Amino acid sequence: MEKKLSRVANTFTPSPIQELSHLAQRCNAINLAEGFPDFPAAPAIKSAAVSAINSDFNQYRHVQGICELLARNAKEMYGLEVDPDTDIAICCGQTEAFAAAMFAIIDPGDEVVLFDPCYETYEGCIQLAGGIPVYVALEPPHWTLDAEKFMSSFTGRTKAVILNSPQNPTGKVFTWNELEIIAEACRSRDCLAVTDEVYEHITYDNVKHVTLSLLPGMQQRTIITSSVSKTFGVTGWRIGWAIANPILASAIRNIHVKLTDSAPAPFQEAALTALSSGPDYFESLRRDYESKRDYSIQLLTGIGFQIRFKPQGSFFLFAELPESSPLSDVGASLALTDPKTKVAFLTLIIPCLLVLMVQVEYVKHLIEQAGVVAVPGRGFFHFNSVSSESEESLSACHDYQKRYIRFAFCKSSATLEAAAQGLSVLVDTKGCLNLPPPSKTDT
Amino acid sequence: MLESQCTWTHSPPPTMSRPLSFLLNNPSSPFPRTFPLRQLFINSTRSLTPAAAPIFRRPSLMAALSTVSVPHPDKDATAAVTPNSSQTQHPLQVAKRLEKFKTTIFTQMSMLAIKHGAINLGQGFPNFDGPDFVKEAAIQAIKDGKNQYARGFGVPDCNAAIAERFKKDTGLVVDPDKEITVTSGCTEAIAATMLGLINPGDEVIVFAPFYDSYEATLSMAGAQVKSITLRPPDFAVPLDEFKSAISKNTRAVLINTPHNPTGKMFTREELDTIASLCIENDVLVFSDEVYDKLAFEADHISMASLPGMYERTVTLNSLGKTFSLTGWKIGWAIAPPHLTWGVRQAHSYLTFATSTPMQSAAAVALRAPDSYYE
Repeated sequence: MEKKLSRVANTFTPSPIQELSHLAQRCNAINLAEGFPDFPAAPAIKSAAVSAINSDFNQYRHVQGICELLARNAKEMYGLEVDPDTDIAICCGQTEAFAAAMFAIIDPGDEVVLFDPCYETYEGCIQLAGGIPVYVALEPPHWTLDAEKFMSSFTGRTKAVILNSPQNPTGKVFTWNELEIIAEACRSRDCLAVTDEVYEHITYDNVKHVTLSLLPGMQQRTIITSSVSKTFGVTGWRIGWAIANPILASAIRNIHVKLTDSAPAPFQEAALTALSSGPDYFESLRRDYESKRDYSIQLLTGIGFQIRFKPQGSFFLFAELPESSPLSDVGASLALTDPKTKVAFLTLIIPCLLVLMVQVEYVKHLIEQAGVVAVPGRGFFHFNSVSSESEESLSACHDYQKRYIRFAFCKSSATLEAAAQGLSVLVDTKGCLNLPPPSKTDT
Repeated sequence: MLESQCTWTHSPPPTMSRPLSFLLNNPSSPFPRTFPLRQLFINSTRSLTPAAAPIFRRPSLMAALSTVSVPHPDKDATAAVTPNSSQTQHPLQVAKRLEKFKTTIFTQMSMLAIKHGAINLGQGFPNFDGPDFVKEAAIQAIKDGKNQYARGFGVPDCNAAIAERFKKDTGLVVDPDKEITVTSGCTEAIAATMLGLINPGDEVIVFAPFYDSYEATLSMAGAQVKSITLRPPDFAVPLDEFKSAISKNTRAVLINTPHNPTGKMFTREELDTIASLCIENDVLVFSDEVYDKLAFEADHISMASLPGMYERTVTLNSLGKTFSLTGWKIGWAIAPPHLTWGVRQAHSYLTFATSTPMQSAAAVALRAPDSYYE
């Protein structure tokens, strides 16, 4: 009866990131894989949810107040004019907003341009709607956008561009110039843009998130998607939204209603409290994550990981595996005082996760022996990247795709310190990181 | 007005000659919090005065004509003024499938109800609330910090509770981790089932009148819909028509029992006939049983419990209707592993995971003693 599955369902594989998370849980390992915090959400927001349940906000609901606040925030934070009555659809998380957006704009055969590396879920959504993903590789080590390469990815069938900024997994925040390149392509080709801005409030070093909609000619052709999940540390509440011109927003809203009918009612109420947060909240959010970022960078570089690109946003570090060279003294001098010595740090050097079974077995083996889990970077890269044409650059491209590991640092200080403690265990007597060699099997 | 890909049986869609028979006589009486479930099922918005005249929805007509274009009550949907305004008019930018996706008649009627101060008997949510013990469980979960991503296909305890409930109700033993997928409401379970198991061009049989999201999601999946009209006055299944409609080309049959909007329950005989024809033609059944606990006279029969049917049935249900917590969006699909796989794939791209604290509460609710359901 396997033939009863749809073609699309047959091509999908389970989320490697979620699988690693579950494994981490079962082995009681430290989870630096999945992007959710392990510290509590702000008390005021939780109280608001509790109060909503007690006040019987428990039936199907559309809380218009969310739209009012989103419009207000868009204006105050970004200078964007949004009509709360027509331009916003509340959805079950950014995931659903994105899915509804795809179903709203993608017909079978439409091409959708994405940047590589990128979050694993976009592709599945696009394919579910019958679209064809086309990847444009960002150039390592700083993940820069090559305008020519980007423009050449457009064809007569290109319908939309997906932009995730601040970006998962690299932590890149697209610059104004890069946004202008994207905008020019969309304008000249009459294409749409769909943005994922879930990390919009998590930026560092005074780098500001700029929404693509602000660029000339872009507001009418851009669908912004975002959510409360990352900003307010409530990834399990499923409250997100899409913001677009009235025609697109209405289409998205109508599809959302047919997909899930409404987002969870008490959490919509709680979102009112969350979205009313003043500048202090966002400031302290940034500061906290920035210090976690700095700690994690020091931690990893200290034992030989290369972080040539410092994340400007999101709570992920995309670290390169160390060259086989002795570690510096900096690493050896890291103060490791955390008493939790039970866990040992594990670094995963995992070949392509698309060859599922072999790699998952390998990952399992390593996790069960150690106690910390991160995500192999290979899962974020895609092989049909529009990249250089020569043979050797192609293979060079593929080589770099094997070298990255994504660490989530949206964790409590205690968690990060425990990970640091484990690091020392993996360092051998010469001060080198004792890692298993990369597998020769490759696809 | 009906789209050409949806083929209808010979008889026209039925029109309701009178309002749904199980409406309360006195819409203005206050409802006690512990309103026994076996009493009726009335929908009313909280803030409306009882003195206003009720609006009676004509569900069968509306559901059957779900693709009729109704003017949007909001202001005219013109895009923001921009220098290139000619581009903003482009309906070509939106997908062709959107012909099916107008603002739902429920939303429009609800809005009209509010506008005119009417009692809303349109949309299917109660104006009494869920039981305290379930709400307490959700509150506790929030306080305990269960606010992060749940396992994509469901919090383990929630899946387990669903399995226990299903066993009590049908006698079927299912594996909570391999055969249950928790979704954002039954609506999403329906969407995930369609998108995960239906290919473009696949034939799906539905019984009219039907709930409006079926046609929308079938359209998203690109299905060829064959609609068979239930026969008034008791909305019996025209078994002969069904026999001639089903064939080896049919991919799935969609049934909804107890039935929205008619309140009909599929009889044992009807289910047996449908089942044997599905087995004969190797057809799947998607069974929306969201009202299974609101069965008044007859006992609800789950299609999956019929001989030979579990392996080809996806059973869809939710917390919302049974526990008057429709806004919590906890639903599920129960199916054998090879079908669950497809449902889970689609689900993971639609919403990724379902709200975590509500799942903990759902586990508590589903383990409520049988006396709650009486």
